Amino acid sequence: MKLHARGIASSISSLIVGEIAHTLTVANGKERILSVNDGYNSAAIGPAAIISSLPFEGLPQEFKLLPSVHSAGALDHLAEGDIVLIKPDGELHTLYRRQSDHNALFVTDRCNSNCLMCSQPPKDRDDIGFFLEINMRLLELIPKDIHILGITGGEPTLLGPRLYFMLRKIKDRLPDTEIHMLTNGRAFAWMNYAELVASVDNPRMVYAIPLYSDYYALHDYIVQAKDAFSQTTLGIHNLARLNQRIEIRIVLHKQVIPRLKQLANFIYRNMPFVDHVALMGLEYTGYTPHNDPLLWIDPYDYVEQLNDAVEFLALNGVNVSIYNLQLCLLPKHLWKYCRKSISDWKQIYIDECMQCDWREECGGLFMSSTRKHSSHIAPMKKQ
Amino acid sequence: MAPLASRKFKPLEFYSSPSIAYYLLPFRFHRLNDSREILVNEVGDYIVAPIDTARRIAAHDISPSESIYADLVANFFISEKPIPDLIDILATRYRTKKSFLDDFTSLHIFVITLRCDHTCHYCQVSRQSEDKHQYDMSRTDIDGFIDLMFKSPSRDVTVEFQGGEPLLVFDNIVYAVKRIEELNRADKRRVRFVVCTNLSNINLDILTFLKEHGILISTSYDGPEFIHNSNRTFSRGNSHATVLEKIGLCREILGNDMVSALMTASSLTLNYPVEIVDDYVAQGLPSIFLRQINPYGFAKKNRMKNAYTAEQFLEFYKTALQHIINLNLRGLFFLEEFATIILSKILTPFPIGFTDLQSPNGMINGAIVYNYDGFVYASDESRMLAEERDFTFQLGHVKSDSYQKIFYGAKAQHIAKYWANESLAGCSECGFQSYCGADPVRHYATQGDLAGYRPTSSFCITNMEIIRFLIELLTENRSIERVFRSWVNKTPL
Amino acid sequence: MDIINHTDHVEIKVQLDLYSITVLHKCFYWYGANFSVDIETESDKVGRVRLFPKTEIPVAEYPNLLSKIRNDLIDFKTRDIVSKETQNVRDLLIAKAFSHSDELDDSPPGDISDPVGFDPTAK
Repeated sequence: MKLHARGIASSISSLIVGEIAHTLTVANGKERILSVNDGYNSAAIGPAAIISSLPFEGLPQEFKLLPSVHSAGALDHLAEGDIVLIKPDGELHTLYRRQSDHNALFVTDRCNSNCLMCSQPPKDRDDIGFFLEINMRLLELIPKDIHILGITGGEPTLLGPRLYFMLRKIKDRLPDTEIHMLTNGRAFAWMNYAELVASVDNPRMVYAIPLYSDYYALHDYIVQAKDAFSQTTLGIHNLARLNQRIEIRIVLHKQVIPRLKQLANFIYRNMPFVDHVALMGLEYTGYTPHNDPLLWIDPYDYVEQLNDAVEFLALNGVNVSIYNLQLCLLPKHLWKYCRKSISDWKQIYIDECMQCDWREECGGLFMSSTRKHSSHIAPMKKQ
Repeated sequence: MAPLASRKFKPLEFYSSPSIAYYLLPFRFHRLNDSREILVNEVGDYIVAPIDTARRIAAHDISPSESIYADLVANFFISEKPIPDLIDILATRYRTKKSFLDDFTSLHIFVITLRCDHTCHYCQVSRQSEDKHQYDMSRTDIDGFIDLMFKSPSRDVTVEFQGGEPLLVFDNIVYAVKRIEELNRADKRRVRFVVCTNLSNINLDILTFLKEHGILISTSYDGPEFIHNSNRTFSRGNSHATVLEKIGLCREILGNDMVSALMTASSLTLNYPVEIVDDYVAQGLPSIFLRQINPYGFAKKNRMKNAYTAEQFLEFYKTALQHIINLNLRGLFFLEEFATIILSKILTPFPIGFTDLQSPNGMINGAIVYNYDGFVYASDESRMLAEERDFTFQLGHVKSDSYQKIFYGAKAQHIAKYWANESLAGCSECGFQSYCGADPVRHYATQGDLAGYRPTSSFCITNMEIIRFLIELLTENRSIERVFRSWVNKTPL
Repeated sequence: MDIINHTDHVEIKVQLDLYSITVLHKCFYWYGANFSVDIETESDKVGRVRLFPKTEIPVAEYPNLLSKIRNDLIDFKTRDIVSKETQNVRDLLIAKAFSHSDELDDSPPGDISDPVGFDPTAK
């Protein structure tokens, strides 16, 4: 699933964030013309921009005068209702897809951690202003009936006080949408910052915070940041005092598995108030291939520890889910915890899956799994 | 993808502090048996370890390369800094464990009459026979007690009608319930009503009223007929048959979860641990509370039938509990209440509401007793002592004493010195402190002083062995641990 | 530590710098059900405990009793060490637990910035 494309820009002087208002197929369905509204343009005057697979000469005359990106390739990935970013250099980035349940605001590439298994390795340049401007415009265009919206990066709290303003806008524009903000939670150890962000007071927002061990040194090692464990747990504690909703995320790999049961116990005893705990299969992308010797363990080989942790949490009344793992790897009694969590744009099935009767119910694999995946993926028959 | 140079990955050693000598955090310990001991931290988290571990920890002898080192740090037994980074979290955990104190007195017991139509040889209430009306609480006093009750800051209030047999003065119960509901219109507290009754007088009219007002029933059921009727004599019939019939009627009209049954173990009961459990199960009851007799009232007078040692009770208890566990392992969800309370302290970060296992004890702080004669007592047991002319725990009278004097006066302050096990001889360093409580009234009544003397205290002997037994079961057998967790979370496996 | 069996009592002598009087009291408190307990200082270096059994102890039981005494003394000494070393942090913990404001809250440890620069206290 494509989220980016590139074409040749014409008359585009600044960033355009706009919704695909109208699509046209021409030349026997081989070419497409899409018109884009940015919320400021008046429908009477015309679209804010045109995107097309056609070369400039092939565009209808009236469109040649508008800002446009032509020769952009097939563009099958774009549909009416989608929202795109059009850059003066001709790059097209999909910011929101109407057909998808997995939309998220990307807020920065910066991060103050450096997790061994980071799937979105950080870039150390200040891009916060750039993304904030785009997202504020995007929020004007996203339809109010959107069910769930993520906030991701990098580390959102690096926005500092600007995070508060963005969250306020989200609450004002999308009051009925579930918001999942992925954050390491470290900045919330500073109570003044926790109070600022919590004062948005959005009951639909969940802070999804990773925790990888009950032992501080192991967590700090995994996220490659000293004092991260203390900061994150204090941050969680402060958010709880401020009645914020918290989800704990645990990525499963070789470093985490040996103390997984102890981590479950730590979470239950010290943070019994969490909304949800998600135990997540590893995505083989970003830093992970580079750190393969430290991280890789076939999920089939950690089923026992996973089972212990899930059962422990469930028995103690904690909401728990398993993300990103395939049904064929897990005993049937754990299937009820599995969710179809892999974002549609990076989700695939492999050859072995084609013979499987449970494909519909299973969340499939990450696209990056073609590089490496469990050697126990095998089709199953429904009895 | 490899990271930029400034983001080069560092090894585990970079993130730990192996050369630092650790600091101790507060913890207690106890030998469980010949090979293992339990270590318990200040908020009740535990680690079971080989004998001698506590000594090694205190001697600063645990090396970071031992696997237990990470467990000790993660579970707040030791710290690599003099004040641990997460101390505020530990403080919140501590506050949570003691949060049963937040709302002050929430259980208000109205001993609304001493009249009764049963004669139970272990009765801890000196009941008078049915025709002596001067043993009923007057309406004036009912009003006065209700006013006193509304002075409590608690948002959640439980009003429990006890006796004698409260249903003998059902009109007064109706009066009290209506008055409370009326006065609560402004306050909007969450009020729960319970009637503790032998059920012999219950009828459809009473049940209609109970149903309308969502009132719970608590009754006494001592198990198989030969035990129940030996313990409890009903002047007008067969206690066992009657109570079973009425329990059925109540469950049908009020709903199963509105009716609970309690048993009391007499000397006869102690011979039949398995039979009494099987009988409770057969009657469709969801749980049993295996509790000892309280050594007050008629129980003291009828020593032949009620005097047994802590050791005898323990043998009964452990046999019955093993049987209950086996039933659970075979698929039945049926729990033992006393064990469940202790297990909640061990297995969860949450507080419990059972006064005798709280520290500070729940008397006054959690529960108060309003007697039929207008006097106020710190607990059921305190009231019994007064029947024997010992007014040590009589806090005042509804007509003459203020809320301040009763709840915060000199007597309350005196009892306060002895109601927390953190500061009692023997308890202050006991490994089971977090899982146990203090009972100054019981110690005063049986040993002569509020502090009590642990070596000969049946409260201590019984609790310590039950706690040790539960811990041994739970830590040596994973299936039993799962059963215990199912009890604590009230979720069948 | 010396343990001596007399005809009618068991005598335990300890170095007070190893087992303080407090430790002796706390340890032998628990023996009071079955023994009459006598604790005194023989000199400022030596403490003496005498246990007079209330009912006769069978000879076969003596090894168990001696072993129990040794274990209990070590346990109570351990408790004493823990109690003394953790007094301050325990007082602090309880003060924090019952404090109604966040005056007593500690500031978080460590750095939190990324290479670009971040300060959570900035307005």
